[in-house]
Amino acid sequence: MLTTLIRRELLDNLMTFRFAAAVLIMLLLGVANTVVLIKDYEQRLADYNTALKTHRQQLQEDITYSSGELKIDRPPNPLSIFNVGFDKRLGNKVIVSHRYVPTLWDADKHGSTNSFMGMFAAIDVVFIFEAILSLLALIFAYDALAGEYERGTLRLVLTQSVRRGSILLAKYISAMLCLLVPLLMSLLLAVILLTTSTAISLNTDDFLRIGGIILTSVVYLSVFYLIGMLISVATRRTSTALMLSMFVWGFLVLIYPNMILAAIPRPEAPKARAVSAYNQIKQIWEEFDREREQFLKNDAFPGENSHFNMMQSGGYSSGYFDRNSSTLKYFYLKPLDMEQLKEDAESRVPHAQNYYGFLGPRITDTAEKTWLIRKPALEAILVQPTNVERVWLKLSPVGLYDAATQAWAGTDLKGIRDFFEAARVYRRQVVDHFYNTKVFESRQWFAGDKGTPEWDKLPQFNFQRLEVDTNAKRALPDVCLLLMINGVLFMLIFLIFVKSEV
Amino acid sequence: MWHIAKRELYDNLNSLRFALATILLLALMLTNAVVHLREHPKRVRAYRANVTAHQNHLASKANESLYELAEKGPGFLNKKPSVLRFCAEGGEPFLPGYVIALYGRGGRGDLKYFWTLEYPSVTPNLRNISPDVTKIDWGFIIGYVLSLAALLFTFDALSGERERGTLRLMLANSVPRHTVLMGKFLGALISINISFVLAVLINLLVLSTANDVHLSTEAWGRLAIIFLIALLYTSLFLALGLLVSSRVQRSAVSLVTLLLIWIVFVVFTPNTLASIVGGFSPPMSSDEFQERSSQLEDELQRELLWKYFVHPEDTREDSIKKIQLGGEYVTKDAAQQERLHETLLKQQISQMSRVRAVTRFSPVTIAQHLLEAFAGTGFERHLQFLENVQSYVRQFREFIVDTDKVDPESLHIFGIRAGMSQKPVASEAIPKFEDTLSLSKDFNTAAVDLLLLTLFVIVLLSGAYLAFVRVEV
Repeated sequence: MLTTLIRRELLDNLMTFRFAAAVLIMLLLGVANTVVLIKDYEQRLADYNTALKTHRQQLQEDITYSSGELKIDRPPNPLSIFNVGFDKRLGNKVIVSHRYVPTLWDADKHGSTNSFMGMFAAIDVVFIFEAILSLLALIFAYDALAGEYERGTLRLVLTQSVRRGSILLAKYISAMLCLLVPLLMSLLLAVILLTTSTAISLNTDDFLRIGGIILTSVVYLSVFYLIGMLISVATRRTSTALMLSMFVWGFLVLIYPNMILAAIPRPEAPKARAVSAYNQIKQIWEEFDREREQFLKNDAFPGENSHFNMMQSGGYSSGYFDRNSSTLKYFYLKPLDMEQLKEDAESRVPHAQNYYGFLGPRITDTAEKTWLIRKPALEAILVQPTNVERVWLKLSPVGLYDAATQAWAGTDLKGIRDFFEAARVYRRQVVDHFYNTKVFESRQWFAGDKGTPEWDKLPQFNFQRLEVDTNAKRALPDVCLLLMINGVLFMLIFLIFVKSEV
Repeated sequence: MWHIAKRELYDNLNSLRFALATILLLALMLTNAVVHLREHPKRVRAYRANVTAHQNHLASKANESLYELAEKGPGFLNKKPSVLRFCAEGGEPFLPGYVIALYGRGGRGDLKYFWTLEYPSVTPNLRNISPDVTKIDWGFIIGYVLSLAALLFTFDALSGERERGTLRLMLANSVPRHTVLMGKFLGALISINISFVLAVLINLLVLSTANDVHLSTEAWGRLAIIFLIALLYTSLFLALGLLVSSRVQRSAVSLVTLLLIWIVFVVFTPNTLASIVGGFSPPMSSDEFQERSSQLEDELQRELLWKYFVHPEDTREDSIKKIQLGGEYVTKDAAQQERLHETLLKQQISQMSRVRAVTRFSPVTIAQHLLEAFAGTGFERHLQFLENVQSYVRQFREFIVDTDKVDPESLHIFGIRAGMSQKPVASEAIPKFEDTLSLSKDFNTAAVDLLLLTLFVIVLLSGAYLAFVRVEV
């Protein structure tokens, strides 16, 4: 019986104008946007490769260790085509140095992105589904039951020995099958276009991630279909159901995500926390500065400045603090690039080596000490308030869907922060390398006249996105919530439908 | 015609869609007002604090000497926040609110670099980890919600009557078809505007009760213009709705068609076109910029700086010559760095202008441009601010030159301490930066958009007329 019902519904749905329009528009937008997105990705990848090359070159040109800036770059995520998330917005270039522990807030941008262009919202494949597929689901659903009520065919069907539950199920299954056609077709086309591009190489994990995105999309789609069905069964009139569905769509997709963040008072960052953390960090650095001066005083050259009067004119010399209270950035910087020493400076070189051999490890230790304060403080003042906003957004299925697909694609905040975690690990490797090869106390630390730094011997940085199970772990709670919404909606529809008089 | 319009009006006012649209618009407008009241005073306070900081900076440098003032520069120059920002957010988070006119590059040996005019390339958005959302401004409410509502009001205007058979009945009377069409159009326009006006009035009521947001007469005038633009924009979608509705036999089909058109043109076209056009001739990258900057510096150093360092200063003539060399190096360096900054800015602006021109293909972009122009926000406003800054900087530099001329002890050699006046300057005499907004300029930038929007409306209305006249009932 159920199969008969499904077949009838399926035929009914497939022969409609809306189905043809749905397929056509999804394919059109899907293909057009995917092409644009792939081009954009290729551009970013090219930017990334240029940046890698430039940064390597720049490093080779640095004649001392202390003036060398070891920059690492975050590669663009190929799955950002599906959901761009934070991939384009946040910094993708960060300097790795013993002086501070790098975070997201110390990062910069490579590439030729025009900051003005940020005004235009990024369109990605998930956005197309989010906006259009949900609309199509509602258009499919609004007359599912209300139409039968109006035409009186429902009464006809129910005179047969058909259970009401199976009518609902048949309608649901057939409509979902119909909606899957445009969804899968446009996704398949996107994947085909992706694989034809030479710049993009997807591995097995990526295909699993795309599978996750498809799964989430289906669940999302079903939420909207069920919302439409609920309206349909509750109102019993097609025109009312249609109007209500459209407004519900406008509210959920267009208005709620944009309004809620404005409507709730923006969670204030705990200011006192920021100030106290900054002061603590400042104290630690000031203590370091005193220690440094103490060391200089006890040096064999009392009253001498910190470059030991070795420098020919030109070149940097001064040490200074780079600080920013809003991101709790605070570190001591003393780049030296003496191309030539004064003729009489040779006798002072060992003293300088002694001093910088003391300074380097002290700076490293102080940076790590302040990191213990900075890390939880940043979490509290910058990340926590935005997490509150994210929770608010997740009150609507659109927000859940967006969050889940971002997590699958690895373009959510956590995914981006993985990179900076890797950068921190890499910094530790570099510092260890400095210790092992006695770089801090070497002559190349400050002078480039005898021997240049061996930049090639540094450990290499290579960022790999985490395994697919990490993505799954981050996405599944949201997917489960979506599934739960599905269950609740279906129950509601069932209850109303069973109790209603035909 | 008025008969039909009145009938339509009654029909609409009693309908579910009218109630829903009114509730939605009211909620949005209220949110908009509340958010503006919460954020605008903060913006104004921050702007005032920044202006005071700028003036204090000028005064403190002027107290030291003219040279200090000339070397350190006028400080941060800030963009004045528009009181009408609730009308159009205008992508302000992506536009820097200030320009740096401050010394910041250190120096070489005993030579100190002069300040240069720098345009911050990093927008506040780089470190923003909040979720990405559009701000609820009038631009959003008009551009998206009102246009969608307009389609929902008209999709069944003709096809619904045809389905019910009442259209045939009506046309059996001696009513010309264009009268029917205009009646429908006016009826829908008025009923939509009843809810819109209601929402706007509530919004303005909330705004004007607050103490710290003052709307001047000029602002009210601008609001009136913005309202007219909203009217025109709504008419566009009403005409589109009538056009489709008159050709399509069934209202469900008409709605699906309209919604798909709406999504493609309103939601997708602006952003997709922007990313297509944005791909062409991108500006130089930040790495390239730094590379060129240090390259220029190196070249100039090889050309001039060594001459300065090795020049003897035994006689008076020689020391003056040395001062000249140093001054020449510093001024040339400042000039070429500033030119580089300007080149980058120009590249960015031209890319942006291209994108803005092409995205005019979508009516929502036109409406947004217009709203931005009259609200004094957005990209055109940013360009105006940059123009203000540049003219101020010229004025500031002239002031330095003129003041230096008056001092008989100065050597009138710019760029170096020994060559310039060492006397303090009266801080009242220094030109201070004040950002201004002018309506006449806005009219100029808005004229094209206004004409384009009107053109769209006329084309669609006549299209609807032609379609309806020729269709069989």
